[in-house]
Amino acid sequence: MVRVKSRYLLCEINISVPSNRLLLEDRPIFSAVKDAVASMHGDYGAAQCSIGFSVKYVNALTGIMLIRCPKSSYRLIWSALPFVTSVELKGRKIPLFLNCLHVGVAGGGELHSGTIRTCQKFLVRYNTQQLHRMLPQCKTTDEKTHVRRAILRSSTKMLKGKEHKDESD
Amino acid sequence: KERTDIKLKMPPAVYERVVVKNSPVYQYMKVSLVLEKAQTKLTAVEFKHLITTGLKSLYGEVGAAFPFDLLTFEEDTLTAVLRIYSRGLVRLWSSLTLLGFFQQQRCAFRVLQVSRTSSYTL
Repeated sequence: MVRVKSRYLLCEINISVPSNRLLLEDRPIFSAVKDAVASMHGDYGAAQCSIGFSVKYVNALTGIMLIRCPKSSYRLIWSALPFVTSVELKGRKIPLFLNCLHVGVAGGGELHSGTIRTCQKFLVRYNTQQLHRMLPQCKTTDEKTHVRRAILRSSTKMLKGKEHKDESD
Repeated sequence: KERTDIKLKMPPAVYERVVVKNSPVYQYMKVSLVLEKAQTKLTAVEFKHLITTGLKSLYGEVGAAFPFDLLTFEEDTLTAVLRIYSRGLVRLWSSLTLLGFFQQQRCAFRVLQVSRTSSYTL
């Protein structure tokens, strides 16, 4: 048996109107990405997309999503992502754009091994980084303590996770 | 003994062997268009547009953006010589194969010759 090899694209969904964010679902995003691939890469791209391509996870609160695509055709989907400009939700066209944060690359060592787990790990690290960036921009002391606590919580969680992993090893 | 006689009578071979060691930049294709109604006239611009629409339907905007040239075009026989970068040969060829309609009438592309040097296709 040969293992089916796939790539996971971790994307950030940017919506200009924040109230629309909670309406996000995987089905409309899937069709929007598929339409973009079909217009950019034609029938060939659409056919490549129809096998093993799916939206695995959408977080409406944080605007993060995970796309799974076969390794052989992930470049087609990846290159079409910037051309997704709107998603149709409940009959309304909502303008948005997708920002690809992370792609699993073969032979990339610990960072990129092309699984959901590494994407999740990357996301935790990315979010901590974002918190560090937010800290200097805070104006009130309340905000500052809030962000500091969040950083502390996330880093302790990471440490705990590491310890747990060491024990299991 | 007879055989040697025949050999002597034959004219010298007219082919020439060309060896290209590095991969060529361009590939040349000689194609002809077969239409359902044979009397239909096409200009060179329409012909190129037809090929581009074929590329666009199969390979999308990316495929349609790939540069190729129409070097010669004969309007009476609908035969043309195309020049394309080697990378795009497969894409062009496959889209020509799958191109089936020109203005609501059936059509087909016949690929007569594919070469890496222009002098043999022309």
